[in-house]
Amino acid sequence: MSAAVNECTSEKLGDYTLVRVRGEVDLSWSQQVRRAILDALGATGKVGVELSQVSYIDSSGIAALVEGFQNARGKGQQFGLIGSSKSVMAVLQLARLDKVFPLFGSIDEARAA
Amino acid sequence: MNASPLATAGAEERRALGFLAELSESLAASLDLRETLDMAVTRIAGFMHAEAASLFLLDTASGVLECRICVGPVDITGLKVAVGQGVVGRCVAENATQIVRDASSDTRVNANVDAETGFATRSILCAPLATARGVIGALEVINRRDGGLFDADDAEILRLVAAPAALAISNAQLAYGLVEQQRIKRELELARKIQKTMLPKRRRGAFPLLGVNVPAHEISGDFYDFFDLADGRIAFVIGDVSGKGLDAAFLMVRVASLLRWTGKRAPAPAAWLAEVNAEMCKTLQDGRFVCAAVGIYDRTARKVTFASAGFPPALLFGAGKFEELLADGPPLGILAEAEYGERSIDLGDRALYLFSDGATDARDAQRHTLGSDGLRNIIVRHAALAPEPRLRALLGDLKRLHLVDDTTLLLLQEPCGKSAHQLLELTFPARASEMRAVRAALRGALDAQELAPELRDRLVLAVDEACTNVIRHAYCGECDQNIHLQLVREHDILVFELRDRAPAVDPTRLTARDLSECKPGGLGIPFINALMDEWKLEPAADGSGNILRMRKRIGMGEHE
Repeated sequence: MSAAVNECTSEKLGDYTLVRVRGEVDLSWSQQVRRAILDALGATGKVGVELSQVSYIDSSGIAALVEGFQNARGKGQQFGLIGSSKSVMAVLQLARLDKVFPLFGSIDEARAA
Repeated sequence: MNASPLATAGAEERRALGFLAELSESLAASLDLRETLDMAVTRIAGFMHAEAASLFLLDTASGVLECRICVGPVDITGLKVAVGQGVVGRCVAENATQIVRDASSDTRVNANVDAETGFATRSILCAPLATARGVIGALEVINRRDGGLFDADDAEILRLVAAPAALAISNAQLAYGLVEQQRIKRELELARKIQKTMLPKRRRGAFPLLGVNVPAHEISGDFYDFFDLADGRIAFVIGDVSGKGLDAAFLMVRVASLLRWTGKRAPAPAAWLAEVNAEMCKTLQDGRFVCAAVGIYDRTARKVTFASAGFPPALLFGAGKFEELLADGPPLGILAEAEYGERSIDLGDRALYLFSDGATDARDAQRHTLGSDGLRNIIVRHAALAPEPRLRALLGDLKRLHLVDDTTLLLLQEPCGKSAHQLLELTFPARASEMRAVRAALRGALDAQELAPELRDRLVLAVDEACTNVIRHAYCGECDQNIHLQLVREHDILVFELRDRAPAVDPTRLTARDLSECKPGGLGIPFINALMDEWKLEPAADGSGNILRMRKRIGMGEHE
């Protein structure tokens, strides 16, 4: 279990906005993740959330992802999850959301989609 | 002086009506029907100027008429006639009055009766006893005293006087039926109580055997028993007598006693069954037999020796796996020379379930039987419960289906109680920022139990979701109040207990949303539902706060 600090950053790759999340996403800071995702969707262009360094995610973290997905779909924006870790996939499956989100293996794959 | 025919008829009719009124009254007022009918038939014979009169009643089951009351020179009480035969039989079959003007030449008349009795039958009149329920018998008068022949007027009069007699008999029969039913009901209730006293009393304290018996009707053909042996071991018995009803119940009482008295001497289970079987084969008749299983349990070694005589497969359940114990020989009472096998089982922490076929025969609303698989599912569903609430839950599930047969369950399992040990105890403020440390502590405690990482992470998630729900919904937001987390292991069950000091939460307001909808939020309870075997939220006994208990069985056969 990595003891990575919780961190959420956004970067622009051309017209693509990448939100990188690290650490354990739980109630204590899932609102920050939610804000970052909604802000990224505020601009035009595709949005991806990179989750390979997420060692834990709870239902409030999943809720932030679902809200982002619904927001993007409402505006016809592309939204996807990138490199979801095993822990994230387990919880997505539990919530039966693994077939709902577009899932990409890498950033390049997501940008090309 | 000759009265006109019309006037004579009028006088005769008035006389008949007067008689009828009197007869009806005496029959209606009567409580002792037999005595009254005796009197009524005598009076009818007198009124009709007949030498003899008799009353036949129909046994609807056999279709046979029997003479119940008879007045006259020859007593034919008890004489039986089939419906349709002879004058009486035809009267009933046709529901019509029969007139025989010349008995010697009438083919309806059974000449044998006269031949046997020496009575000379000349003329017969027979009227049906008709009721709303149909014809229940017939009233017959024989030979006019004046030597004349019965005529149509006589037939009409007999038909009239038969009516109140029929009504009185019918009412009495109905009343008797009702009284009889009440009597049988009382006696069955008594039999049920006697049977119930034969079942062993529930033992206080941590006793490894629990049984329950639900008769399909008042009385049962099923039984179970357990008793202490001189060497400290415990003997147990379960049985199911073929058939239902009173005879099965009597046989059950006999076999239960026989099994107990034979078992008291602590024979090996195979010999125990063989001895009882031999005794039963000597005395059992009419194809009845008894399916039974017996066993002896050694608590210190946690070993069972067990043998089954045609009893439904016993189920041994532990660590998520079932083992089926099939019969070791035929049911008792069939083959005098039958031999039985027996087996020795290391019970350990496992549970041995014995159930009569009434359990697997339980039907759902579509009449589908539960079957062995259905029963296994129910056992798995309640596996996390302690033995006693588990047996109650099993029975509750069976009762929610329709029980068509006597149903008996016997559960052998060493109660856990003392073997529970605490793996983790933590008290922390109701703040989301605390959760990371709580999860780390929980992971450590679960890793020490050598859980698979996937299962460990799922349990951590469930506890985390439960804690954040306490913070958000019980405390209504972060605060300095505490949450107390305790993790206890009882054999292969993990019990997670969360206590808070928040105002009481109404458990009925907690509902899980459907996971098939895609929307943010509301996922906590569905997660807990999916990750734990069961959970329960209740107010703390002292009224301060809530207690959430979540259970998860972590057997080796764990399949996710």
